[in-house]
Amino acid sequence: MPQPRRPRGPDILDTEARLVARARTGDMDAFEQLAGSHADRLFAVLLRLLGNRAEAEDVAQEVMLRAWRGIGHFHGHSLFFTWLYRIAINEANRSLERSSRRPVSVSIDAEALQVPASAHDQPSIRLEQTQLHKALSKALADLPPDYRTAIVLRDVEGLSTQEAAQIAGVGQAAFKSRLHQARLKVRAAIGDEALIDAGR
Amino acid sequence: MGLFSRTDDHQWSQQHLSHYVEGDLGRRARSRLDRHAEDCADCGRGIRAMRALLRLIPGLEGPAAIRAPAGIFDRVRSSGTDSTNDDGTPAPPSGA
Repeated sequence: MPQPRRPRGPDILDTEARLVARARTGDMDAFEQLAGSHADRLFAVLLRLLGNRAEAEDVAQEVMLRAWRGIGHFHGHSLFFTWLYRIAINEANRSLERSSRRPVSVSIDAEALQVPASAHDQPSIRLEQTQLHKALSKALADLPPDYRTAIVLRDVEGLSTQEAAQIAGVGQAAFKSRLHQARLKVRAAIGDEALIDAGR
Repeated sequence: MGLFSRTDDHQWSQQHLSHYVEGDLGRRARSRLDRHAEDCADCGRGIRAMRALLRLIPGLEGPAAIRAPAGIFDRVRSSGTDSTNDDGTPAPPSGA
């Protein structure tokens, strides 16, 4: 089970709350510091959802603009990053609707997204890992957007079901249904034997 | 004779492999899948494949390699200091 990767210590939340307060008064530096701390992961999510770097960069800028313009509506009842990610998911979906297509890229930045080298660091195994990575990326790209969002937030990002459902804008039961269906589709696309071999 | 036929059990089990590995099945449902998988090579393999999938997917993220573009705040900066939603576009989620 993936573990949440984002540190959530009281100090960080306190710092974040102070930055939110300053950003709400129009302090752009505070906003950039606040949103910037989530920018890399946010961009990775957009890249995975959209499958295209140029489009992800365009949407990322739009997300930040909307967050800046909407920071006055953020009252701190949820974590800032869940609010920011919610904007990102909405913008990614709007972008996909505008282009009326699914992601076209099979391997987004294939070099950058390599499966990390493991103890089995032999050339033939590296090749198999690369092929598996490409196959997994394609299987994700072929999913309907709602299913892809579920897997990216829960399994790739390691968010809790509660956080991921909140970001996706659905209840936890509906979110889990999407997640389970998405995993079944990816499993079917890759094949049991390939998954078992790669997972050893 | 069980409540469900073997075909029912198989189709149901195949649809609930993710629930099973996630721990989302109740006790009776989990037992049903356990019983079926004992005699069904397909479903036993499906459980192992689903577990492998959940181990492999996090490796897709490449956290050290992906960086946000340098210009991610360009539109914010060119919008000036006004942080109000005054352009007629839908506001971000409110009440959060």
